[in-house]
Amino acid sequence: MTNLLELEDVRAGYGPTSVLHGISLQVPEAGVVSLLGANGAGKTTTLRAITGGVRWTGDIRFGGRSLRGMSTEEIVRRGIAHVPEGRGICTELTVDENLRLGSYLRRDGPEVKKDYERVFEYFPVLKQRRRLSSSTLSGGEQQMLALARALLMRPRLMLLDEPSLGLAPIVVRSIFEIIKSINESRQVAVLLVEQNARLALNLSSSAYVLEVGRVAVEGDSAELQGKESVRRSYLGY
Amino acid sequence: MQEFLQLVVSGIATGGIFASLALALVLIYNAMGLVNFAQGEMAMFATFVAFTLIGRGVSFWIAFPVTLVLAFAGGILVQRVVIKPVERAPVLTLVIITLGLATLVNGLAGFAWGYVPRSFPSPFSPDSIDLAGVFVGYRDLGVIAVSGIVLLAVYVLLQHTTVGLTLRAAAHHPEASRLLGVHVSWMLALGWGLASAVGAASGMMVAPILLLEPNMMQSIIIYAFAAAVLGGIESPLGAVVGGLIVGVTINLAGAYLPFVGGDLQLAVGLAIIVGVLLLKPNGLFGRAAVRRV
Amino acid sequence: MQRIRVAQPRYWLVGVVVLFFLGFPTVISSFLASEWAQALILAIAIMGLNILVGYSGQLSLGHGAFMALGAYVSAILAHHYKMDYLVTIPIAGLTTGLVGFLFGIPALRLSALYLALATFALAVVSPSLIKRPAGLTGGVQGILVVQPDPPATASSVFAALTGTAMTSDQWIYYVTLFCAVVLFWVAWNVVRHRPGRAMRAIRDGEVAAAASGVNVAGFKTLAFALSAFYAGVAGSLYGLSTGFVSPDTFPVSLSIQLLVGVVVGGLASIPGPLVGAISAYFLPIESSQWVPSQAWIPTQIVTTVKNAGPAVSYGVILILIMIFAPNGLVGLARTGYAALNRRLRGAGDRETGHTAAESQTVSEPD
Repeated sequence: MTNLLELEDVRAGYGPTSVLHGISLQVPEAGVVSLLGANGAGKTTTLRAITGGVRWTGDIRFGGRSLRGMSTEEIVRRGIAHVPEGRGICTELTVDENLRLGSYLRRDGPEVKKDYERVFEYFPVLKQRRRLSSSTLSGGEQQMLALARALLMRPRLMLLDEPSLGLAPIVVRSIFEIIKSINESRQVAVLLVEQNARLALNLSSSAYVLEVGRVAVEGDSAELQGKESVRRSYLGY
Repeated sequence: MQEFLQLVVSGIATGGIFASLALALVLIYNAMGLVNFAQGEMAMFATFVAFTLIGRGVSFWIAFPVTLVLAFAGGILVQRVVIKPVERAPVLTLVIITLGLATLVNGLAGFAWGYVPRSFPSPFSPDSIDLAGVFVGYRDLGVIAVSGIVLLAVYVLLQHTTVGLTLRAAAHHPEASRLLGVHVSWMLALGWGLASAVGAASGMMVAPILLLEPNMMQSIIIYAFAAAVLGGIESPLGAVVGGLIVGVTINLAGAYLPFVGGDLQLAVGLAIIVGVLLLKPNGLFGRAAVRRV
Repeated sequence: MQRIRVAQPRYWLVGVVVLFFLGFPTVISSFLASEWAQALILAIAIMGLNILVGYSGQLSLGHGAFMALGAYVSAILAHHYKMDYLVTIPIAGLTTGLVGFLFGIPALRLSALYLALATFALAVVSPSLIKRPAGLTGGVQGILVVQPDPPATASSVFAALTGTAMTSDQWIYYVTLFCAVVLFWVAWNVVRHRPGRAMRAIRDGEVAAAASGVNVAGFKTLAFALSAFYAGVAGSLYGLSTGFVSPDTFPVSLSIQLLVGVVVGGLASIPGPLVGAISAYFLPIESSQWVPSQAWIPTQIVTTVKNAGPAVSYGVILILIMIFAPNGLVGLARTGYAALNRRLRGAGDRETGHTAAESQTVSEPD
């Protein structure tokens, strides 16, 4: 199976501060991969590098093509949906307008309609609140909106940055189930950054643990979960 | 009572002019967080272009939309050439640049058309119509109609089209919009083009009333500032409402307050600005600082 | 740890400059002396505005109005109350400073952009406001200022040095120079002691400054008052130098010219205002004369520049400076100086990982 996303010895940072010191990882087609690690390890920076939000050296390839020199908009248009930390909801706009932004790049009208229906199936609350300003949504609802919007982009790869942050456990569980369903039914690959390692490992097939900008441990999720030493040292449980 | 109503109506007409220019200011403020001090001069320049077209025999009703298109293109050009290189500079630098732009455009207009005031033909007849006992000039009604159409068109564009949606998204949430595939940089240019076109409409509406000369818009922009500030500098609706209020207020003040003569109406504009900023800085429709993502 | 290099104030350079300006009028025409006087007047006003904008971070587009106030106070006192003009200069300054202080209080509540808006509106409206009390201000025609003859001592010294009699213009130049030197010295001291530090702290982060115990409100209004004082003195001198004051001598473009002078010269620097003033005054005049003489500039551009007068070239140059040298000309000189230094010192800082651009150079010792 070819890899949809490949990072090769990626280094990145902000100005004089270097955050990533040579990250290599792969996300296979329709695969789910977790990116774990403590705060400040470089997980968010990795996602940012992929969508061009931070300068990097090394190589990042998506679908075989290098992303070097491309602007964020161009990268996203190639089929990557990035839900950033903080969700990136356009709070000035209504729920419906946010969703429309998700689908505005697409030209396949009937398919878009179908996707809207699925989105409302997953997240009925969004349908109820369509006309309201998105700033009225709770944290969990905003996460749903962000996911829904990403879904509407019909991406080949979703980058999710801390989807569980600040949400009640019940909400988190349902969101993760939806992510799983999206991955399985639509063959959308997922690169998941998470603090909640257990949840992430349950969902993903492989995982990378970052420590201070380097990959400390990598491998099959089930294996990592099995090794107590790994769990204790890197995953905190 | 008649006089009062007439003043109100013509105040609404001037208010429509202020509202258009104020809307231009609000559009750029929303996109970039800065006030474009050159907005009035750009509007004046566009009006001179219209004047040249009309002078060559083009009817007003053709020259008007053509000028709007040219102003739109001009706004995009200005954004690409002058503003984009310093997109990330601090606000002070950008403000200075708009001031430099204002000086430059004013000088260019002076070179091209001289400083002698010209009369600009109004497309409307100078007669009045009797509406329920009040005599209202066709010209005032015409200005109200045209400004109304322009403002309505902008509203429809922004709220009910995809382009308008991406414009608003790019203006308020540039980072999040990029992640959705929006070409934020081009949206900014579009915003400038749109603002420029709306400002041009304002210039063409005011030119028949004042005389057309390079310094024509300098007092209008003060009123537009007052309108934008009164309405809330982030709110397009506020610009419109603010414009109407300012227009009516200065008309009434000029007529009923004895010490406010012709040129001191401008001081009323200043008083409105200062008053609003001190008492209710967010204006009528503004909010406290919105977090931009 | 970042190394903060403090440049020693170059006293010798200051001395040279002052000497230059002292001797200048002996070799140039009287007319040129009055032009340079006007440049010095601008420098004073720009220095004041710099304190407000560059050091305390508040933006004013209306300081032309303060100059007008100072000019009119002096003119009215001299004309209606027959006071000696030189005596009116400090009075004008203090009055304007007081008004500035009163302005500074409500200004505390305005964000930078709104303050710019409000002061801009003030600048546009002030000519109309001046015309109103015509009995006092002379309305549209303004007030004539009698230019004093040079006093005997000065005149004889000048005659001894140059062999010609000192003209009124030259005497006024020296008065202006004296005020400029004194006020620059005052500004330098304010800036490098506690008020200057407090203002810079406020400019760089009001909340943090307040948390560190800085009296934010006090220093911000002080900055306003001080800058208004300078503008008032400048305005008063301006009336003296031109021989009259009228509402139209203080249009909104003057306020813009002042701000431009601050920025072009270099924010938050002491030599900046002088450089900025010289640019702001002479650039428009010179550029509209220089450009036509350059063969490589196409004729269409040349005729545009000649006919549109200073405005077009001024605007273009302003924009270009803001794009390519936002730290002003002094900043440009400093960057050049730093770059030269870096190259001369070689790889010295490489082991610390810092480049010269990161260590801060402040222009006065703290």
